[in-house]
Amino acid sequence: MRLKSDLVQQQQLQKKPFVSYVLLISHVINRVFEWLQLLHMSVFSQSFSPCGRFLAAGNNYGEIAVFSLSAALSPDATAANQKPVLTFTAHEGPVFSLLSTDVHLLSAGNGEISAWSWNELTKKCLCVCRSSLEIPEINSMIINPRDNSLVVGGGDNNIHIMDLEHGVFKNVLQGHSDYIHCVSVRDREAEILSGGEDGAVRMWDSRSSQCVHCIEVYKYESCARPQFGKWISCLTTDSDWMLCGGGPSLSLWHLRSLSPTSIFPLSGCQRQAAFYQDKILAVGEGAFVSHCLLGGEVKAQIPCTPQSLNTLQLNTNSTEHRVLTVGGSSDHIDVFTNLSYRAFSLSF
Amino acid sequence: MLASCLLAQGFMGSPDVSILSFVRVPDEVIRKRLLIDGDGAGDDRKINVLLKSFTKWCNSPGTPEEGFTQYQRMLGTLAQCEFSMGKTLMVYDMNLREMENYEKIYSNIEQNIMSAHEKIAECKKEIQRAKRIRKNRQEYDALAKVIQQHPDRHETLKQLEALDKELQQLSHIKENVDAKLELRKKQFHVLLSTIQELQQTLENDEKSDDDNNQESPAENGE
Repeated sequence: MRLKSDLVQQQQLQKKPFVSYVLLISHVINRVFEWLQLLHMSVFSQSFSPCGRFLAAGNNYGEIAVFSLSAALSPDATAANQKPVLTFTAHEGPVFSLLSTDVHLLSAGNGEISAWSWNELTKKCLCVCRSSLEIPEINSMIINPRDNSLVVGGGDNNIHIMDLEHGVFKNVLQGHSDYIHCVSVRDREAEILSGGEDGAVRMWDSRSSQCVHCIEVYKYESCARPQFGKWISCLTTDSDWMLCGGGPSLSLWHLRSLSPTSIFPLSGCQRQAAFYQDKILAVGEGAFVSHCLLGGEVKAQIPCTPQSLNTLQLNTNSTEHRVLTVGGSSDHIDVFTNLSYRAFSLSF
Repeated sequence: MLASCLLAQGFMGSPDVSILSFVRVPDEVIRKRLLIDGDGAGDDRKINVLLKSFTKWCNSPGTPEEGFTQYQRMLGTLAQCEFSMGKTLMVYDMNLREMENYEKIYSNIEQNIMSAHEKIAECKKEIQRAKRIRKNRQEYDALAKVIQQHPDRHETLKQLEALDKELQQLSHIKENVDAKLELRKKQFHVLLSTIQELQQTLENDEKSDDDNNQESPAENGE
């Protein structure tokens, strides 16, 4: 039966060569469009699942792709395992920030935060609850574990604190004069750090919501790079120490004395940095991951596929899938099983 | 057909080859028999031959010399069979002992593997500790660099002391000058007040003189 209808279709097509020609052309155009989309894709954010076996990555088209790490890292992985198990459109604008709680994946787009359940994502169905805010563009989110609240830094120059239990906004921290790039939480002293376009790193006390300190990094001669600007795009803290960089050079600060202790001689602006054991890993402009020592010297620069990197994540949730993943201005996400070399790439 | 093959079997003693040539037997049976017999296909035949020659010798009507030679031949064959049996037994013993040896080596290697695993785990812990120590050392170094930039405490204290002394001296001088100023002020005040009093007294005197002069012409006029 089926064969006969196929034959009939073919005969019909043969009778209308123009139609088949048009179909072929549209097919080719679709393929070219898809390829162009992949070419212009940038990965802005990543997050690991609480069990450590999945990676979610958000790109500039508003899509989130979920990759299975256990499949990609298994000894008999194929090329199909390096593709996502699920891709869906989460927001209309780019997904700048992704964050995982114990149960949910939080994604931030233009003015809204969506919470996706990880259980449902691993089963490839979507279950979402959204909360819409007036914040124009959410660049960074982090969880303050002390009081289980979500700290959101956005384009309206303010930091909003939301209680995760009730989904209600508790507080607004005002003080920055330009939009906020990154936020971080200092566990031991219950402080929130934020860095913004105005070049200031502000420290807020999370209990009293007051700005405790304000460091203007570009005013320190050793760090400042006026040719790049004064914006702070990367901020991370280790309770006593803080790394910040962006327009000024990436520098390590001692928070008790609020003084810069080491300046890292990296060309280009760094977009994300992390403390790892006794090293500092930094990514930014340049197709490499920089490994630096706390003293200020650059130990190694490991090459990667994307031309410039936006995000760096270490999987600390799982012991057997302990990998480093970096993503940037490419549709490939590089996975490092050993920090010294790139093992393979996941692609959208 | 069957009778002739049975006769042939009786004559030859080793059934495999004869069966193969005349009757279709499944391969597995042949394979099994070959495996079991193996090298000893000759032994089996030898025993059968011995048995047959023994029966023939018992029933033979020949001369005693022939009988004796046959008897010697049979003894020889028997000895050969015993020899091969002894060899097989020794080989069996050897195999058993090899197996034991291999078992020992196997368990030894397993133990080594376990201890190597443990050592690896310990070394990993050591590495973590060493990395923490290195991180702490680097932090100290970084802080030390910053601290070095600030001047020494002793010097600063000394400078502070010197400044204090200077301050004291200057305040001392200021007090002296103030006291002198007060004294001069008071002296001037005394001087000025005395002058004023004298002026006043002189004016009073003049006035009283005038009064006296006015009174006396008035007295003279009368």
